[in-house]
Amino acid sequence: MIEVDHLTKRYGKTVAVDDLSFNVTPGRITGFLGPNGAGKTTTLKAILGLVHPTSGTTRVLGNAYRDLDDPLRRVGAVLETSRYHPGRSGRNHLRVVAAQAGIQQGRVEEVLELVAMKQPGRRRVRGYSMGMRQRLGLATALLGDPELLVLDEPANGLDPAGIRWLRDLLRSLARRERTILISSHVLAEVEQIADEVVIIHRGRFVAQSTTRELAQRAAGAVRVRSPDLNRLRELLTANGMRVAEAEDGVLSVGEATAERVGELAAANGIVLHELMTERATLEEAFLELTAGETTE
Amino acid sequence: MRLLYAELLKVRTAPRTSLGLVLGLLLLAGFGSATTAYDADSTPFGREVALGDVISVVSIAPVFTLILGILVVTWEYRHGTITQTFLATPRRERVIGAKDALSFVYGGVLAVAALVLTLIVASFWISLDLERGHWELAGRLVFAAAAWGVLGAGLGALLQSQVGAIVTSFVWFLVAEPLLSATIDSLTDARITDYFPGNALERLQDTAGAVEVGPEGVVTGPDYAFGLWPAALLVVGYAALFAVLGLVSALKRDVP
Repeated sequence: MIEVDHLTKRYGKTVAVDDLSFNVTPGRITGFLGPNGAGKTTTLKAILGLVHPTSGTTRVLGNAYRDLDDPLRRVGAVLETSRYHPGRSGRNHLRVVAAQAGIQQGRVEEVLELVAMKQPGRRRVRGYSMGMRQRLGLATALLGDPELLVLDEPANGLDPAGIRWLRDLLRSLARRERTILISSHVLAEVEQIADEVVIIHRGRFVAQSTTRELAQRAAGAVRVRSPDLNRLRELLTANGMRVAEAEDGVLSVGEATAERVGELAAANGIVLHELMTERATLEEAFLELTAGETTE
Repeated sequence: MRLLYAELLKVRTAPRTSLGLVLGLLLLAGFGSATTAYDADSTPFGREVALGDVISVVSIAPVFTLILGILVVTWEYRHGTITQTFLATPRRERVIGAKDALSFVYGGVLAVAALVLTLIVASFWISLDLERGHWELAGRLVFAAAAWGVLGAGLGALLQSQVGAIVTSFVWFLVAEPLLSATIDSLTDARITDYFPGNALERLQDTAGAVEVGPEGVVTGPDYAFGLWPAALLVVGYAALFAVLGLVSALKRDVP
Protein backbone atom coordinates (compact mmCIF):
# COMPACT_ATOMS: atom_id res chain seq x y z
CA MET A 1 0.00 0.00 0.00
CA ILE A 2 2.77 2.36 1.02
CA GLU A 3 6.37 1.39 0.44
CA VAL A 4 9.20 3.49 1.79
CA ASP A 5 12.50 2.25 0.46
CA HIS A 6 15.80 3.55 1.85
CA LEU A 7 14.39 7.07 2.09
CA THR A 8 16.92 9.75 3.00
CA LYS A 9 16.20 13.47 3.18
CA ARG A 10 18.79 16.07 4.05
CA TYR A 11 18.20 19.77 4.57
CA GLY A 12 21.65 21.24 4.25
CA LYS A 13 23.66 19.41 6.89
CA THR A 14 20.63 18.30 8.88
CA VAL A 15 19.51 14.76 8.17
CA ALA A 16 15.74 14.70 8.65
CA VAL A 17 15.21 11.14 7.46
CA ASP A 18 18.04 8.62 7.38
CA ASP A 19 17.81 5.48 5.23
CA LEU A 20 14.26 4.71 6.35
CA SER A 21 12.41 1.66 5.02
CA PHE A 22 9.01 0.31 5.97
CA ASN A 23 5.77 -0.92 4.41
CA VAL A 24 2.17 -0.25 5.29
CA THR A 25 -0.11 -3.24 4.82
CA PRO A 26 -3.56 -2.80 3.26
CA GLY A 27 -6.74 -2.85 5.30
CA ARG A 28 -5.11 -1.96 8.59
CA ILE A 29 -4.53 1.08 10.73
CA THR A 30 -0.83 1.73 11.13
CA GLY A 31 0.45 4.15 13.72
CA PHE A 32 3.55 6.12 12.74
CA LEU A 33 5.26 7.03 15.96
CA GLY A 34 8.20 9.12 16.98
CA PRO A 35 8.99 12.10 19.18
CA ASN A 36 8.71 15.60 17.76
CA GLY A 37 11.41 16.19 15.17
CA ALA A 38 11.84 12.48 14.44
CA GLY A 39 11.13 13.03 10.74
CA LYS A 40 7.52 11.86 10.62
CA THR A 41 6.15 14.84 8.71
CA THR A 42 9.07 14.83 6.27
CA THR A 43 8.50 11.14 5.59
CA LEU A 44 4.78 11.65 5.01
CA LYS A 45 5.48 14.59 2.71
CA ALA A 46 7.93 12.47 0.73
CA ILE A 47 5.27 9.75 0.41
CA LEU A 48 2.83 12.38 -0.86
CA GLY A 49 5.26 13.81 -3.40
CA LEU A 50 5.60 17.17 -1.66
CA VAL A 51 9.23 16.70 -0.66
CA HIS A 52 11.89 15.40 -3.01
CA PRO A 53 13.98 12.65 -1.37
CA THR A 54 17.73 13.14 -1.30
CA SER A 55 17.89 9.43 -2.07
CA GLY A 56 15.60 6.44 -1.91
CA THR A 57 12.04 6.08 -3.15
CA THR A 58 8.50 6.06 -1.88
CA ARG A 59 5.53 4.37 -3.52
CA VAL A 60 1.83 4.70 -2.91
CA LEU A 61 -0.54 2.05 -4.29
CA GLY A 62 2.31 0.80 -6.46
CA ASN A 63 3.25 4.16 -7.99
CA ALA A 64 5.08 7.32 -7.19
CA TYR A 65 2.41 9.74 -5.90
CA ARG A 66 3.12 12.01 -8.85
CA ASP A 67 2.10 9.25 -11.25
CA LEU A 68 -1.31 8.57 -9.68
CA ASP A 69 -4.25 9.61 -11.83
CA ASP A 70 -6.73 11.61 -9.76
CA PRO A 71 -4.78 11.03 -6.53
CA LEU A 72 -7.49 12.45 -4.25
CA ARG A 73 -9.81 9.61 -5.26
CA ARG A 74 -7.25 7.11 -4.03
CA VAL A 75 -5.31 8.85 -1.26
CA GLY A 76 -6.65 11.31 1.30
CA ALA A 77 -4.22 13.27 3.46
CA VAL A 78 -4.33 15.61 6.41
CA LEU A 79 -0.98 17.23 7.08
CA GLU A 80 0.05 18.89 10.30
CA THR A 81 0.43 22.08 8.34
CA SER A 82 -3.04 21.92 6.78
CA ARG A 83 -3.84 25.52 6.17
CA TYR A 84 -6.61 27.38 4.45
CA HIS A 85 -7.21 30.73 2.89
CA PRO A 86 -8.64 32.65 5.86
CA GLY A 87 -11.17 34.54 3.76
CA ARG A 88 -12.65 31.43 2.20
CA SER A 89 -15.47 29.50 3.84
CA GLY A 90 -14.96 25.86 4.72
CA ARG A 91 -17.50 24.87 2.08
CA ASN A 92 -15.76 26.94 -0.58
CA HIS A 93 -12.42 25.41 0.36
CA LEU A 94 -13.93 21.99 -0.30
CA ARG A 95 -15.53 23.20 -3.53
CA VAL A 96 -12.14 24.40 -4.80
CA VAL A 97 -10.45 21.10 -3.97
CA ALA A 98 -13.33 19.11 -5.48
CA ALA A 99 -13.17 21.18 -8.67
CA GLN A 100 -9.45 20.62 -8.95
CA ALA A 101 -9.69 16.89 -8.31
CA GLY A 102 -12.68 16.42 -10.62
CA ILE A 103 -14.94 15.31 -7.75
CA GLN A 104 -18.66 16.04 -7.91
CA GLN A 105 -19.70 19.12 -5.96
CA GLY A 106 -22.48 17.14 -4.25
CA ARG A 107 -19.79 15.28 -2.34
CA VAL A 108 -18.91 18.53 -0.52
CA GLU A 109 -22.17 18.46 1.46
CA GLU A 110 -21.69 14.78 2.23
CA VAL A 111 -18.26 15.19 3.79
CA LEU A 112 -19.34 18.31 5.71
CA GLU A 113 -22.12 16.18 7.18
CA LEU A 114 -19.66 13.38 7.90
CA VAL A 115 -17.39 15.58 10.02
CA ALA A 116 -20.32 17.44 11.61
CA MET A 117 -19.36 20.76 10.02
CA LYS A 118 -22.60 21.54 8.17
CA GLN A 119 -23.19 24.78 10.04
CA PRO A 120 -19.64 26.19 10.37
CA GLY A 121 -19.00 25.25 6.74
CA ARG A 122 -20.69 28.47 5.67
CA ARG A 123 -18.41 30.69 7.72
CA ARG A 124 -14.97 31.92 6.80
CA VAL A 125 -12.10 29.75 7.98
CA ARG A 126 -10.62 32.79 9.76
CA GLY A 127 -12.96 32.23 12.70
CA TYR A 128 -12.42 28.47 13.02
CA SER A 129 -11.07 26.81 16.13
CA MET A 130 -8.16 24.38 15.86
CA GLY A 131 -10.60 21.49 16.17
CA MET A 132 -12.76 22.81 13.34
CA ARG A 133 -9.70 23.15 11.14
CA GLN A 134 -8.80 19.53 11.85
CA ARG A 135 -12.34 18.47 10.97
CA LEU A 136 -12.20 20.45 7.75
CA GLY A 137 -8.86 18.78 6.97
CA LEU A 138 -10.45 15.37 7.46
CA ALA A 139 -13.39 16.39 5.30
CA THR A 140 -10.91 17.38 2.58
CA ALA A 141 -9.13 14.04 2.87
CA LEU A 142 -12.43 12.13 2.65
CA LEU A 143 -13.68 14.12 -0.35
CA GLY A 144 -12.59 11.51 -2.88
CA ASP A 145 -13.66 8.54 -0.69
CA PRO A 146 -10.08 7.24 -0.92
CA GLU A 147 -8.89 3.75 -0.10
CA LEU A 148 -5.84 5.10 1.73
CA LEU A 149 -5.71 7.83 4.36
CA VAL A 150 -2.50 9.53 5.51
CA LEU A 151 -3.05 11.56 8.65
CA ASP A 152 -0.34 13.65 10.30
CA GLU A 153 -1.13 14.23 13.97
CA PRO A 154 -4.88 14.50 13.37
CA ALA A 155 -5.67 14.58 17.07
CA ASN A 156 -3.71 17.80 17.61
CA GLY A 157 -6.01 20.55 18.76
CA LEU A 158 -8.99 18.26 19.32
CA ASP A 159 -10.68 18.28 22.69
CA PRO A 160 -11.36 14.93 24.41
CA ALA A 161 -14.79 14.67 22.78
CA GLY A 162 -13.17 15.42 19.42
CA ILE A 163 -10.55 12.74 19.96
CA ARG A 164 -13.25 10.19 20.71
CA TRP A 165 -15.14 11.32 17.60
CA LEU A 166 -11.96 10.95 15.53
CA ARG A 167 -11.32 7.49 16.91
CA ASP A 168 -14.86 6.37 16.07
CA LEU A 169 -14.59 7.81 12.58
CA LEU A 170 -11.28 6.04 11.93
CA ARG A 171 -12.66 2.77 13.28
CA SER A 172 -15.68 2.97 11.00
CA LEU A 173 -13.37 3.67 8.06
CA ALA A 174 -11.19 0.71 8.99
CA ARG A 175 -14.26 -1.51 9.06
CA ARG A 176 -14.86 -0.46 5.47
CA GLU A 177 -11.45 -1.87 4.50
CA ARG A 178 -9.71 1.47 4.34
CA THR A 179 -5.98 1.61 5.00
CA ILE A 180 -4.90 4.33 7.39
CA LEU A 181 -1.46 5.62 8.28
CA ILE A 182 -1.67 7.92 11.27
CA SER A 183 1.29 9.70 12.80
CA SER A 184 1.56 10.77 16.39
CA HIS A 185 4.09 11.54 19.09
CA VAL A 186 1.76 10.19 21.76
CA LEU A 187 1.57 6.41 21.99
CA ALA A 188 -1.67 6.52 23.96
CA GLU A 189 -3.36 8.31 21.08
CA VAL A 190 -2.89 5.54 18.55
CA GLU A 191 -2.51 2.39 20.58
CA GLN A 192 -6.26 1.97 21.01
CA ILE A 193 -6.99 2.05 17.30
CA ALA A 194 -3.80 1.04 15.50
CA ASP A 195 -3.25 -2.57 14.53
CA GLU A 196 0.39 -1.99 13.88
CA VAL A 197 3.01 0.64 14.67
CA VAL A 198 6.13 1.90 12.94
CA ILE A 199 8.51 3.75 15.22
CA ILE A 200 11.20 6.13 14.08
CA HIS A 201 13.66 8.21 16.02
CA ARG A 202 16.00 10.88 14.69
CA GLY A 203 14.98 9.97 11.16
CA ARG A 204 15.91 6.33 11.57
CA PHE A 205 13.87 3.18 11.73
CA VAL A 206 13.50 1.82 15.26
CA ALA A 207 10.83 -0.83 15.19
CA GLN A 208 7.77 -2.12 13.44
CA SER A 209 5.46 -4.41 15.33
CA THR A 210 1.86 -5.03 16.19
CA THR A 211 0.42 -2.69 18.79
CA ARG A 212 0.00 -5.58 21.22
CA GLU A 213 3.70 -6.45 21.09
CA LEU A 214 4.62 -2.85 21.63
CA ALA A 215 2.28 -2.51 24.58
CA GLN A 216 3.98 -5.50 26.21
CA ARG A 217 7.40 -4.04 25.60
CA ALA A 218 6.32 -0.71 26.97
CA ALA A 219 4.87 -2.25 30.11
CA GLY A 220 6.62 -0.90 33.14
CA ALA A 221 6.40 -1.73 36.79
CA VAL A 222 3.33 -3.24 38.47
CA ARG A 223 1.70 -0.99 41.00
CA VAL A 224 0.08 -2.78 43.88
CA ARG A 225 -1.72 -1.49 46.98
CA SER A 226 -2.44 -3.70 49.93
CA PRO A 227 -3.26 -3.37 53.63
CA ASP A 228 -0.85 -6.24 54.24
CA LEU A 229 2.16 -4.60 52.70
CA ASN A 230 4.99 -6.30 54.58
CA ARG A 231 3.82 -9.83 53.90
CA LEU A 232 3.28 -8.99 50.26
CA ARG A 233 6.74 -7.52 49.96
CA GLU A 234 8.37 -10.63 51.36
CA LEU A 235 6.30 -12.88 49.14
CA LEU A 236 7.17 -11.00 45.95
CA THR A 237 10.85 -10.68 46.78
CA ALA A 238 10.98 -14.41 47.50
CA ASN A 239 9.64 -14.96 43.98
CA GLY A 240 12.50 -12.99 42.41
CA MET A 241 10.72 -9.69 41.85
CA ARG A 242 12.22 -6.28 42.41
CA VAL A 243 10.13 -4.45 44.99
CA ALA A 244 10.24 -0.82 46.02
CA GLU A 245 7.85 1.25 48.09
CA ALA A 246 6.40 3.88 45.73
CA GLU A 247 4.37 5.78 48.29
CA ASP A 248 2.64 5.04 51.56
CA GLY A 249 0.86 1.70 51.21
CA VAL A 250 1.85 1.19 47.57
CA LEU A 251 4.54 -1.06 46.12
CA SER A 252 6.13 -0.69 42.74
CA VAL A 253 7.16 -4.13 41.49
CA GLY A 254 9.70 -4.65 38.75
CA GLU A 255 10.31 -7.72 36.60
CA ALA A 256 6.73 -8.75 37.16
CA THR A 257 3.37 -8.91 35.45
CA ALA A 258 0.09 -7.91 37.04
CA GLU A 259 -1.17 -11.46 36.45
CA ARG A 260 1.71 -13.03 38.35
CA VAL A 261 1.42 -10.61 41.29
CA GLY A 262 -2.34 -11.16 41.50
CA GLU A 263 -1.99 -14.94 41.40
CA LEU A 264 0.65 -14.99 44.12
CA ALA A 265 -1.40 -12.73 46.35
CA ALA A 266 -4.53 -14.85 45.90
CA ALA A 267 -2.67 -18.10 46.55
CA ASN A 268 -1.39 -16.64 49.81
CA GLY A 269 -4.63 -15.00 50.89
CA ILE A 270 -3.35 -11.42 50.72
CA VAL A 271 -5.96 -8.74 50.12
CA LEU A 272 -5.18 -6.31 47.28
CA HIS A 273 -6.86 -2.91 47.01
CA GLU A 274 -5.27 -1.96 43.74
CA LEU A 275 -3.36 -3.77 41.02
CA MET A 276 -2.30 -2.20 37.75
CA THR A 277 0.45 -2.18 35.19
CA GLU A 278 2.10 1.20 35.01
CA ARG A 279 2.42 2.18 31.42
CA ALA A 280 5.74 3.46 30.32
CA THR A 281 5.53 6.59 28.21
CA LEU A 282 6.55 6.44 24.59
CA GLU A 283 9.79 8.14 25.55
CA GLU A 284 10.60 5.27 27.86
CA ALA A 285 9.68 2.72 25.22
CA PHE A 286 12.05 4.55 22.90
CA LEU A 287 14.85 4.52 25.38
CA GLU A 288 14.38 0.82 25.73
CA LEU A 289 14.11 0.23 22.00
CA THR A 290 17.07 2.39 21.10
CA ALA A 291 19.27 1.15 23.94
CA GLY A 292 20.70 -1.71 21.88
CA GLU A 293 21.56 0.71 19.13
CA THR A 294 23.60 3.10 21.25
CA THR A 295 25.64 0.45 23.07
CA GLU A 296 26.21 -1.57 19.86
CA MET B 1 -9.65 23.13 -18.39
CA ARG B 2 -10.60 21.61 -15.04
CA LEU B 3 -7.56 23.20 -13.43
CA LEU B 4 -8.25 26.57 -15.03
CA TYR B 5 -11.81 26.42 -13.66
CA ALA B 6 -10.44 25.50 -10.22
CA GLU B 7 -8.03 28.45 -10.37
CA LEU B 8 -10.88 30.76 -11.30
CA LEU B 9 -12.92 29.38 -8.41
CA LYS B 10 -10.02 30.15 -6.07
CA VAL B 11 -10.06 33.78 -7.16
CA ARG B 12 -13.85 33.97 -6.94
CA THR B 13 -14.12 32.45 -3.48
CA ALA B 14 -11.50 34.73 -1.96
CA PRO B 15 -12.06 37.88 -3.97
CA ARG B 16 -10.99 40.60 -1.61
CA THR B 17 -7.41 41.20 -2.68
CA SER B 18 -7.98 40.99 -6.40
CA LEU B 19 -11.11 43.13 -6.11
CA GLY B 20 -8.99 45.94 -4.71
CA LEU B 21 -6.68 45.70 -7.71
CA VAL B 22 -9.53 45.64 -10.20
CA LEU B 23 -11.27 48.63 -8.62
CA GLY B 24 -7.97 50.48 -8.35
CA LEU B 25 -7.24 50.05 -12.02
CA LEU B 26 -10.75 50.98 -13.12
CA LEU B 27 -10.75 54.05 -10.90
CA LEU B 28 -7.42 55.23 -12.28
CA ALA B 29 -8.48 54.46 -15.84
CA GLY B 30 -11.72 56.40 -15.49
CA PHE B 31 -10.02 59.34 -13.86
CA GLY B 32 -7.16 59.36 -16.38
CA SER B 33 -9.60 59.19 -19.25
CA ALA B 34 -11.68 62.07 -17.90
CA THR B 35 -8.75 64.42 -17.43
CA THR B 36 -7.25 63.54 -20.82
CA ALA B 37 -10.50 63.95 -22.74
CA TYR B 38 -11.39 67.14 -20.88
CA ASP B 39 -8.08 68.65 -21.96
CA ALA B 40 -8.54 67.54 -25.57
CA ASP B 41 -9.02 71.01 -27.03
CA SER B 42 -5.80 72.30 -25.57
CA THR B 43 -3.57 69.76 -27.32
CA PRO B 44 -1.96 71.04 -30.51
CA PHE B 45 -3.33 68.30 -32.73
CA GLY B 46 -6.81 68.25 -31.26
CA ARG B 47 -9.17 65.34 -31.08
CA GLU B 48 -7.05 62.92 -33.10
CA VAL B 49 -4.24 62.90 -30.58
CA ALA B 50 -6.62 63.08 -27.65
CA LEU B 51 -8.32 59.78 -28.53
CA GLY B 52 -4.95 58.04 -28.77
CA ASP B 53 -4.01 59.54 -25.42
CA VAL B 54 -7.28 58.42 -23.89
CA ILE B 55 -6.71 54.87 -25.05
CA SER B 56 -3.15 54.88 -23.81
CA VAL B 57 -4.40 55.56 -20.29
CA VAL B 58 -4.77 51.76 -20.28
CA SER B 59 -0.97 51.51 -20.39
CA ILE B 60 -1.09 51.57 -16.57
CA ALA B 61 -2.83 48.18 -16.68
CA PRO B 62 0.34 46.01 -16.73
CA VAL B 63 1.29 47.27 -13.26
CA PHE B 64 -1.98 45.85 -11.96
CA THR B 65 -1.97 42.65 -13.96
CA LEU B 66 1.63 42.03 -12.87
CA ILE B 67 0.58 42.19 -9.21
CA LEU B 68 -2.47 40.07 -9.98
CA GLY B 69 -0.26 37.41 -11.56
CA ILE B 70 2.05 37.51 -8.54
CA LEU B 71 -0.93 37.10 -6.20
CA VAL B 72 -2.48 34.22 -8.12
CA VAL B 73 0.63 32.17 -7.33
CA THR B 74 1.96 33.57 -4.07
CA TRP B 75 -1.23 33.65 -2.03
CA GLU B 76 -1.21 29.86 -2.23
CA TYR B 77 2.25 29.83 -0.70
CA ARG B 78 1.39 32.52 1.79
CA HIS B 79 -1.70 30.75 3.11
CA GLY B 80 -0.20 27.28 2.73
CA THR B 81 -2.95 26.11 0.37
CA ILE B 82 -0.27 25.16 -2.16
CA THR B 83 0.12 21.89 -0.21
CA GLN B 84 -3.49 20.92 -0.87
CA THR B 85 -3.19 22.08 -4.47
CA PHE B 86 -0.18 19.87 -5.14
CA LEU B 87 -1.84 16.95 -3.32
CA ALA B 88 -4.79 17.22 -5.70
CA THR B 89 -2.57 17.77 -8.74
CA PRO B 90 0.91 16.36 -8.05
CA ARG B 91 1.96 17.19 -11.59
CA ARG B 92 2.98 20.68 -10.61
CA GLU B 93 3.60 21.84 -14.18
CA ARG B 94 -0.17 21.58 -14.77
CA VAL B 95 -0.90 23.76 -11.76
CA ILE B 96 1.63 26.39 -12.74
CA GLY B 97 0.47 26.23 -16.36
CA ALA B 98 -3.12 26.84 -15.27
CA LYS B 99 -2.02 29.79 -13.15
CA ASP B 100 -0.05 31.28 -16.05
CA ALA B 101 -3.08 30.84 -18.31
CA LEU B 102 -5.42 32.37 -15.75
CA SER B 103 -3.08 35.35 -15.29
CA PHE B 104 -2.94 35.87 -19.06
CA VAL B 105 -6.71 35.74 -19.49
CA TYR B 106 -7.45 37.71 -16.34
CA GLY B 107 -4.88 40.34 -17.32
CA GLY B 108 -6.38 40.68 -20.79
CA VAL B 109 -9.95 40.87 -19.51
CA LEU B 110 -8.97 43.46 -16.94
CA ALA B 111 -7.29 45.61 -19.60
CA VAL B 112 -10.34 45.33 -21.87
CA ALA B 113 -12.56 46.39 -18.97
CA ALA B 114 -10.31 49.37 -18.31
CA LEU B 115 -10.33 50.21 -22.03
CA VAL B 116 -14.12 50.11 -22.26
CA LEU B 117 -14.39 52.31 -19.21
CA THR B 118 -11.92 54.89 -20.54
CA LEU B 119 -13.83 55.09 -23.82
CA ILE B 120 -17.19 55.47 -22.07
CA VAL B 121 -15.82 58.21 -19.82
CA ALA B 122 -14.09 59.96 -22.73
CA SER B 123 -17.28 59.96 -24.80
CA PHE B 124 -18.68 62.66 -22.54
CA TRP B 125 -16.16 65.12 -23.99
CA ILE B 126 -15.01 63.83 -27.37
CA SER B 127 -16.61 61.73 -30.09
CA LEU B 128 -15.22 58.24 -30.50
CA ASP B 129 -14.16 57.97 -34.14
CA LEU B 130 -12.00 54.91 -33.70
CA GLU B 131 -9.64 54.35 -36.57
CA ARG B 132 -7.43 51.43 -37.41
CA GLY B 133 -4.50 52.93 -35.53
CA HIS B 134 -6.58 53.25 -32.39
CA TRP B 135 -7.68 49.63 -32.51
CA GLU B 136 -4.09 48.55 -33.00
CA LEU B 137 -2.96 50.61 -30.04
CA ALA B 138 -5.77 49.14 -27.92
CA GLY B 139 -4.79 45.65 -28.99
CA ARG B 140 -1.15 46.26 -28.08
CA LEU B 141 -2.12 47.60 -24.66
CA VAL B 142 -4.41 44.66 -23.87
CA PHE B 143 -1.77 42.21 -25.06
CA ALA B 144 0.91 43.91 -22.94
CA ALA B 145 -1.32 43.70 -19.86
CA ALA B 146 -2.01 39.99 -20.45
CA ALA B 147 1.69 39.23 -21.00
CA TRP B 148 2.64 41.08 -17.81
CA GLY B 149 0.11 38.92 -15.95
CA VAL B 150 2.12 35.87 -17.00
CA LEU B 151 5.36 37.63 -16.03
CA GLY B 152 3.87 38.20 -12.56
CA ALA B 153 2.76 34.58 -12.21
CA GLY B 154 6.24 33.42 -13.24
CA LEU B 155 7.97 35.79 -10.84
CA GLY B 156 5.60 34.69 -8.08
CA ALA B 157 6.35 31.01 -8.69
CA LEU B 158 10.07 31.78 -8.81
CA LEU B 159 10.23 33.69 -5.53
CA GLN B 160 7.15 32.18 -3.79
CA SER B 161 7.13 35.13 -1.40
CA GLN B 162 4.32 37.59 -2.00
CA VAL B 163 6.06 40.60 -0.54
CA GLY B 164 9.36 39.55 -2.09
CA ALA B 165 7.91 39.29 -5.60
CA ILE B 166 6.00 42.58 -5.42
CA VAL B 167 8.96 44.48 -3.97
CA THR B 168 11.37 42.93 -6.48
CA SER B 169 9.22 43.90 -9.44
CA PHE B 170 8.67 47.44 -8.18
CA VAL B 171 12.32 47.99 -7.38
CA TRP B 172 13.28 46.74 -10.83
CA PHE B 173 10.73 48.70 -12.85
CA LEU B 174 10.71 51.91 -10.83
CA VAL B 175 14.30 52.18 -9.64
CA ALA B 176 16.81 49.69 -11.00
CA GLU B 177 15.86 49.71 -14.67
CA PRO B 178 15.61 53.52 -15.04
CA LEU B 179 18.90 53.99 -13.17
CA LEU B 180 20.70 51.29 -15.14
CA SER B 181 19.28 52.66 -18.39
CA ALA B 182 20.48 56.17 -17.65
CA THR B 183 23.93 54.96 -16.64
CA ILE B 184 24.44 52.64 -19.57
CA ASP B 185 23.03 55.15 -22.06
CA SER B 186 25.51 57.76 -20.89
CA LEU B 187 28.40 55.36 -21.42
CA THR B 188 27.59 53.93 -24.81
CA ASP B 189 25.64 54.72 -27.94
CA ALA B 190 24.63 51.08 -28.37
CA ARG B 191 20.92 50.73 -27.69
CA ILE B 192 21.27 47.97 -25.12
CA THR B 193 18.84 49.41 -22.62
CA ASP B 194 15.97 49.41 -25.11
CA TYR B 195 15.91 45.66 -24.67
CA PHE B 196 15.21 45.87 -20.90
CA PRO B 197 11.75 44.60 -20.01
CA GLY B 198 10.32 47.94 -18.88
CA ASN B 199 11.62 49.75 -21.95
CA ALA B 200 10.41 47.00 -24.27
CA LEU B 201 6.97 47.26 -22.69
CA GLU B 202 7.02 51.02 -23.10
CA ARG B 203 7.95 50.61 -26.76
CA LEU B 204 5.05 48.22 -27.28
CA GLN B 205 2.68 50.66 -25.62
CA ASP B 206 3.88 53.69 -27.61
CA THR B 207 1.07 55.83 -29.00
CA ALA B 208 3.03 56.91 -32.09
CA GLY B 209 1.46 54.34 -34.40
CA ALA B 210 -1.97 55.60 -33.52
CA VAL B 211 -1.42 59.29 -34.08
CA GLU B 212 1.00 59.48 -37.02
CA VAL B 213 -1.96 59.77 -39.38
CA GLY B 214 -2.95 63.16 -37.97
CA PRO B 215 -3.69 65.66 -40.76
CA GLU B 216 -1.56 68.38 -39.24
CA GLY B 217 1.58 66.33 -39.72
CA VAL B 218 3.47 63.41 -38.33
CA VAL B 219 3.94 63.30 -34.60
CA THR B 220 7.44 62.22 -33.83
CA GLY B 221 7.51 60.21 -30.66
CA PRO B 222 10.64 59.08 -28.90
CA ASP B 223 13.19 57.34 -31.06
CA TYR B 224 13.39 53.54 -30.56
CA ALA B 225 15.93 50.95 -31.62
CA PHE B 226 13.29 48.61 -33.04
CA GLY B 227 9.71 48.42 -34.25
CA LEU B 228 6.52 47.16 -32.66
CA TRP B 229 6.82 43.51 -33.64
CA PRO B 230 10.24 43.05 -32.07
CA ALA B 231 8.93 44.86 -29.01
CA ALA B 232 5.98 42.45 -28.82
CA LEU B 233 8.36 39.53 -29.20
CA LEU B 234 10.57 40.89 -26.42
CA VAL B 235 7.58 41.32 -24.09
CA VAL B 236 6.43 37.78 -24.83
CA GLY B 237 10.01 36.59 -24.38
CA TYR B 238 10.31 38.13 -20.91
CA ALA B 239 6.94 36.69 -19.88
CA ALA B 240 7.93 33.26 -21.21
CA LEU B 241 11.35 33.42 -19.56
CA PHE B 242 9.85 34.05 -16.14
CA ALA B 243 7.11 31.48 -16.72
CA VAL B 244 9.85 28.90 -17.33
CA LEU B 245 11.95 30.04 -14.35
CA GLY B 246 8.86 29.90 -12.14
CA LEU B 247 7.98 26.43 -13.39
CA VAL B 248 11.48 25.10 -12.72
CA SER B 249 11.41 26.60 -9.24
CA ALA B 250 8.01 25.07 -8.47
CA LEU B 251 9.12 21.65 -9.71
CA LYS B 252 12.46 21.61 -7.89
CA ARG B 253 11.59 23.02 -4.50
CA ASP B 254 9.98 21.14 -1.64
CA VAL B 255 6.60 22.29 -0.45
CA PRO B 256 6.97 24.00 2.92
